[in-house]
Amino acid sequence: MGIDRRIFIKTLGVTGVTLVTGTMLGAEVADDEAIEFQGMLYDSTRCVGCRLCEVVCAETHNLPVLKVKLKTGVLRKNSETQRTVINKFATSKGDVSAKKQCMHCNEPACAAACLTQAMHKTKEGPVIWRSEKCMGCRFCMVSCPFDVPKFEYHSANPKIQKCDMCYDRIVSGGIPACAEACGDALIFGSRSLLIAEARRRIAENPKDYVDQIYGEYVAGGTGFLHIGPVPFNELGMNTGLQNSSYPALTKGFLYSVPAVFVLLPSVLLGIHEATKNNQTNDEELE
Amino acid sequence: MDVFSYNNIFETKGIEYLVVIAFLMLLIPFWITLNKKVKIAGQIRQAAGILTARTLKIPQGIFYSRNHTWAHLEMSGIANVGLDDLLLHITGDVRFNHLKNPKEKIKKGELLAEIEHNGKTLRIFSPVSGEILDINEVLTDNPELLNEDPYLKGWMYKVRPTRWIAETSTYFIAEDATNWLGKELERFKDFLSGRAGFFSPESARLILQDGGELTDHTLSDLPAEVWQNFQEDFLNHTDPSKHA
Amino acid sequence: MKSLNNPVVTIARDNDGKSVLRFLAGELKPKGKWLTPFNIISIPVIILGLVLIVIRFWKGIGSITNLSQDIPWGLWIGFDVVTGVAFAGGAYVITFMVYILKMNRYHSIVRVTVLNGFLAYVFYAGALLLDLGRPWNVINPIIGNSFGTSSVLFLVAWHFLLYMLAELIEFSPAIAEWLGAKRARKILSGMTLAAVIFGITLSTLHQSGLGALFLMAKEKIHPLWYSEFIPLMFLVSSVFAGLSMVIFEGSISHKVFFNQISEKNHKAQKGIISGLSKICAGAMFAYLFLQVLVFIHGKRWEYLDTPMGYWYLTEIAGFVLIPMILFFYSYRRQNILMIRIAAILTMLGVILNRLNVTVIGFRWDAPVHYVPTWMEIVVTLTVIFTEIWIFRWVINRMPVLRESPSWVNKVK
Repeated sequence: MGIDRRIFIKTLGVTGVTLVTGTMLGAEVADDEAIEFQGMLYDSTRCVGCRLCEVVCAETHNLPVLKVKLKTGVLRKNSETQRTVINKFATSKGDVSAKKQCMHCNEPACAAACLTQAMHKTKEGPVIWRSEKCMGCRFCMVSCPFDVPKFEYHSANPKIQKCDMCYDRIVSGGIPACAEACGDALIFGSRSLLIAEARRRIAENPKDYVDQIYGEYVAGGTGFLHIGPVPFNELGMNTGLQNSSYPALTKGFLYSVPAVFVLLPSVLLGIHEATKNNQTNDEELE
Repeated sequence: MDVFSYNNIFETKGIEYLVVIAFLMLLIPFWITLNKKVKIAGQIRQAAGILTARTLKIPQGIFYSRNHTWAHLEMSGIANVGLDDLLLHITGDVRFNHLKNPKEKIKKGELLAEIEHNGKTLRIFSPVSGEILDINEVLTDNPELLNEDPYLKGWMYKVRPTRWIAETSTYFIAEDATNWLGKELERFKDFLSGRAGFFSPESARLILQDGGELTDHTLSDLPAEVWQNFQEDFLNHTDPSKHA
Repeated sequence: MKSLNNPVVTIARDNDGKSVLRFLAGELKPKGKWLTPFNIISIPVIILGLVLIVIRFWKGIGSITNLSQDIPWGLWIGFDVVTGVAFAGGAYVITFMVYILKMNRYHSIVRVTVLNGFLAYVFYAGALLLDLGRPWNVINPIIGNSFGTSSVLFLVAWHFLLYMLAELIEFSPAIAEWLGAKRARKILSGMTLAAVIFGITLSTLHQSGLGALFLMAKEKIHPLWYSEFIPLMFLVSSVFAGLSMVIFEGSISHKVFFNQISEKNHKAQKGIISGLSKICAGAMFAYLFLQVLVFIHGKRWEYLDTPMGYWYLTEIAGFVLIPMILFFYSYRRQNILMIRIAAILTMLGVILNRLNVTVIGFRWDAPVHYVPTWMEIVVTLTVIFTEIWIFRWVINRMPVLRESPSWVNKVK
């Protein structure tokens, strides 16, 4: 089933790209050596709120499976036992579901913040957490604009829990468990093709979608993309975030560090030299 | 396409920090070497330099006696005694031989010590009366301290004075000291020109620069007779009873 | 060495020719009374704190703290580390003044300030270990296994380590004097200038670095406290935070360790405190204008008429503007008591500011707001009290407040 899906997506991608851009990108799609970030596209119009993705995710990662009925309007967050959640919202277009998980940013704040490289942006795209490096400082939690990483506060050997796009499965040729289990709403593929597919859907059904892909630009672009029928702030998502990368906010500071390290000692030595003759004064002749 | 990796903007940070470490480690030898050269050049210049009132160190808070010794009373009541900068610039590098020891009593004008350069000596007489408490042992091993730092590290004796006020009442302090030392310098020039007949043209060059200014360490290369003359006529101190 | 005004009391003696081990064995014995008021309060707190720490490692951080998924950093980071380091800023300011600007009036307080700075960093880095979820991996960013060079926290952590080293070197001549190691003292004294310059550079970067930690939390910190200039504000405020702590701690030490301090240093105390108050007034004046600039730059007018806005005004007006005026006024009148009050107000202001940025203003919109548990407070107090114990131990033995042994060439 996995292989079929991949061929399906590839065909979809080629068609979509051809339609939207009119250029032949087929060569690039078939080329396995192209380093492109992989991502996921989630379509709220196709999500029925069955929560199978939650169940499969919990099973895959040894987390407790929550048997909960989705209540409309109740905002659940991902937690240290749930890497992803589906919430249902009452909106102007009826009940709409929204999936919340790690956004797998192109320039993740968590990975830039991590001083041990425990949070790591892989070259395939997913942002993963590596337990052997993590010291549990929780700086990733402070830095993440989406408040994604969750910490096991009540464990003596605490882990950070967040979606890792089933990285182990991807590396061995598979796709994330949620994308595999989901009927229609969640697809996995290379980011550029997913964006193209999203644009195609929006272009073909303008009444069903808001003309925006959440994740195309936010935080400098993310791997998890979301399209839906209503404005995203109605779906519990934060639309006040900046559209540039978050690590770039520390650029000014970190860039000046080596320069300060060179200039400040020099200036201090200089002042020390210049004030040398102030040494002998009457206070000392005691 | 999205091909860049996330740490794109911080990629070179690791190498930059290594460069910083290299800089800091190289800075120390760099700085030390830079200063060393300057110090030696300065010393040479000073050695061949000019002795003027401006090159003298004249701390304002101590008493100067007419034979160019100084006395400074500390809060503990103990007086430090030493030689002033002018005398030491005139004599050049000297060794210090202490003739009195701790626990001995000394009177003002009594022989306290000798300074000597290549066999030529000057006798030093005490500016105050009292009991000697300490002698500066450091000067035995590091005689250059006397010339380098005559008022602080180059102190000669620590004395507990018995008649401080009476004995220092005629000494120079503060602006009086500055004025007096300036005049002493002129008097020294007169003293030398009065002895002009003794000097060969080469010796004359030793003591007077082209501009008519004195060279530093004026007496150091001059013969012993000049030192004797200096003791008797300039310092004017062979007979203790003559001076206040 | 006997003090002039109390000739009967013998203060600590430095090692004079005895073997170091024998000397240390003697020094390790406790000095002074056991049942002082401070001891009576601090011993039970420390014991309780140690018990809590054991529980924390056994059952996880959540068992004794109120940290949440929304607010991952609380009292231990916000107060112990961030505010504690700001207060330890006295060390770099004083060493800058004495060794670089040659303001020799403050020479007598260098050692105690450096000691305080060193202990503060050791203990607050120590407190950090308590807050880490997986502390056994703390060596990862140190041994080169995983250098996260893109991280501001990486920089801050490394600077802490290097700064502790620099402070130790700056303080080590006192240890050498205590042990009677003359040659060691000479070598270590020669390294002082290099350690001071290194220390000032490191301090500049990590005082501002602690502010830079929060730069990525742009939408998560209340706009009245978030700006791109947080690092600069932290740096400037660390100047008067450190000096206020020097005034505060100096006033206490002066009373507690009265008979160690020489006559000369007693007399100099007033001049030192008033000089420091002048510098604080100046630094706070600049800081206030910096706040105004940042306020205008961030177009923050609309936030003023809100509860958070009033809180912001309280912090700025009540705990920066007013102490600045107090410092100014009491310097002019040479009123030492007022200077001390101003110092305390300033310190409260710095605590407020740091907590506002890191904890109170952080996710101020979270549904459940963070309030530290009594257990977090006890652990914090344990850290502080233990530090004071060590401080007292050192002061009672080493030549920090009292004069150096006579073999030291004191004339500089």
